[in-house]
Amino acid sequence: MRRALGAVMAAALLASVALVVQRPGPVNAQGGGTVEVTVTYNGAPVIEKLKVNKDTEKCGTEAAIEKVVVGGNKGLANVVASVPTAKGAPRMVKATVDQHGCKFVPHVTAMMPGELELKNSDDILHNIHTYSTANSSINKAQPKFKKVMMEKFEKPEIIKLTCDVHSWMLGWLAVLPTPFFAVTDAGGAAKIENVPAGKQTVEVWHETLGKQTKEVDVKAGQTVKVSFEMKK
Amino acid sequence: MRALGAVIVAVSIVASVGRAGAQAGDAQAGKAAYEKKCALCHGDKGDGKGPAADLVDPRPRDFTTGIYKIRTAASKTPTDRDLFDVITRGMPGTFMPPWDVLPERDRGNLVAYLKTFAPDKFKEAPKKQELPKEVAASPESIKRGKEMYEAIECNKCHGAEGRADGPSRAELKDEWGFPIRPANLTKRWNFRGGGGRAEIAMRLATGVLGTPMPSFVDSVEKPDDIWHLANYIASLGPEAPNYATLLSAQAVKGNIPDDPDAEFWKRQVPQNIPLAGQVTIDPRNFNPSIDMVALRAAWSDTEVAFHVTWDDPTQSAADAAKKAPPDAVSLQFPQKIAEGAERPYFLMGNEADAVYLLRWENGKGATEATANGPTKIAPLAGSEATGKAVYANGQYRLVLKRPLASKGPDRPRFQPAVFLPVAFQAWDGGAGETGTKMSLTSWYYLRLEEPQSNRRFVVPPVVAVLTLAAMLLVVRVANRRA
Repeated sequence: MRRALGAVMAAALLASVALVVQRPGPVNAQGGGTVEVTVTYNGAPVIEKLKVNKDTEKCGTEAAIEKVVVGGNKGLANVVASVPTAKGAPRMVKATVDQHGCKFVPHVTAMMPGELELKNSDDILHNIHTYSTANSSINKAQPKFKKVMMEKFEKPEIIKLTCDVHSWMLGWLAVLPTPFFAVTDAGGAAKIENVPAGKQTVEVWHETLGKQTKEVDVKAGQTVKVSFEMKK
Repeated sequence: MRALGAVIVAVSIVASVGRAGAQAGDAQAGKAAYEKKCALCHGDKGDGKGPAADLVDPRPRDFTTGIYKIRTAASKTPTDRDLFDVITRGMPGTFMPPWDVLPERDRGNLVAYLKTFAPDKFKEAPKKQELPKEVAASPESIKRGKEMYEAIECNKCHGAEGRADGPSRAELKDEWGFPIRPANLTKRWNFRGGGGRAEIAMRLATGVLGTPMPSFVDSVEKPDDIWHLANYIASLGPEAPNYATLLSAQAVKGNIPDDPDAEFWKRQVPQNIPLAGQVTIDPRNFNPSIDMVALRAAWSDTEVAFHVTWDDPTQSAADAAKKAPPDAVSLQFPQKIAEGAERPYFLMGNEADAVYLLRWENGKGATEATANGPTKIAPLAGSEATGKAVYANGQYRLVLKRPLASKGPDRPRFQPAVFLPVAFQAWDGGAGETGTKMSLTSWYYLRLEEPQSNRRFVVPPVVAVLTLAAMLLVVRVANRRA
């Protein structure tokens, strides 16, 4: 009996993992290609430092506001790369922003219209204050005992996230009309998989350096590389 | 019976529809009223950029955004009633005055016109914010409210005792990027949307849009906590300041305590005095930090003592390196207390008539000075004034003393049973207040009350006994005759 229960639970666990891990809306996986985006920046990183006067056990004594993060080979991190011309089914991957160490983790989150999971793993008060126009802007308290909140963002737009309790906290939420997107890593690279074959537009967006687009020709089963250089 | 009920229901429906109808204003008519009464601050286009906007802090509302602070709606836009109420009551503690002088119809029309500045935002009807069933104020509820206040960390902005001195205070900005101050929760009469318990509960539930104050409706442990919090916040201060008109100093035998927290001072009833920003001479103070001082005063044969309490969210001493001014307060008296009603110019006197200042400054202590205007202050040598202050949780409590007798002609004499003109000035160094950038009052009158003799406890009972005896005598005589 116990063994049977264990087996059922294991199966359920596997199924749920499979559900979450399932990759972005592969509507036509047979006809999809991969777009590899690299973004570089020709300037210096911009990271503002601020002395912290409260909650230092959680936030540390110095806060860093990461406005432009540049990695190896001038790679620009925190850039949202997407293929707005490609349509597909919504992603099954849950978007999550964690308020951790008095920072929004990740700094930039991309998602399709739907629900965002907001976590507070700091055990102190944060308030999630959004700046948006298409969606209703929200300002909700998330006290220490409220570990998770769900918020709906139904219209595509780029939304600024702040916390008034800790004024240095800054995050961005890109609500995108397409499931084909990725955020660049520390090296400035992002990989978008299963993009429908054909002529597509790749768009990159950075919080302070703005937007750029490029046309690419996606071929089924192949990888197409596209690089951008952001300037001041 | 049932028919009667139906009639009552029908009548009440008609009545409420009629009422709502009366409120649905005429935007065109509202435009005329707007241009006359509102445009000076809020601008012709409703963008909050009228000619007077730069002098107003907090700045006038930009109606084109459709963002309104005071709502009873769960959705982003306020109800017509919310807008109507703000116009009627004004925004206490800001430059927005109550417009209840306008006919009700004009106010209704204004509501209709305001909505035309952000037509997209008012397309959808606002959803009412529901509150849990009201919980009456009780010691248990207030205790739970305090627990919740600490758990959800209201103190981060509003301070441990609610005096707006929390650590996040200096960082707060509104959605337009302008600095904004948290509310002092001990002064409910300044609450923008009203200081009643239900109004506080509504603000907690909806938040204050466009400001850092978030919505807490889903962010308390249990729904009732909204009411417990409201009950606790309402317990932090009186509903109204009950400002004093005539100030008095109590007569004391022997020593007057120096300690501001001594029981002697706690027993006295505070006399609240409102302060306003100094806006006559540059640099002016349009958004003063200190809006009230509370005075307790006592005098003996040898000295006079003033106990002054005021809220200041930041404790600051003079810092030459940072060019930071100190926190300070001063009591002003005419240098010569003349017979008759004429007093020196209230703003620290003028060339003709000097004032005497009894001043206390954080870090420096008590000093005496004379002044012939706010820029002509001359310290008096050989000051015998003393000051002892405590600062805690956003509040100063100070005992400022001086000998009763005057030393030389520069200082006024404090005589009992005389109406002494007195005025008050205060500076919040942390807010950059110094010199003419201060908050102040005009002249008040202070009376050193003469000690009351014990005869008041003796004479009335004696009179009562004698009267009773006389009555008994009359009754007795009358009975005997009968």
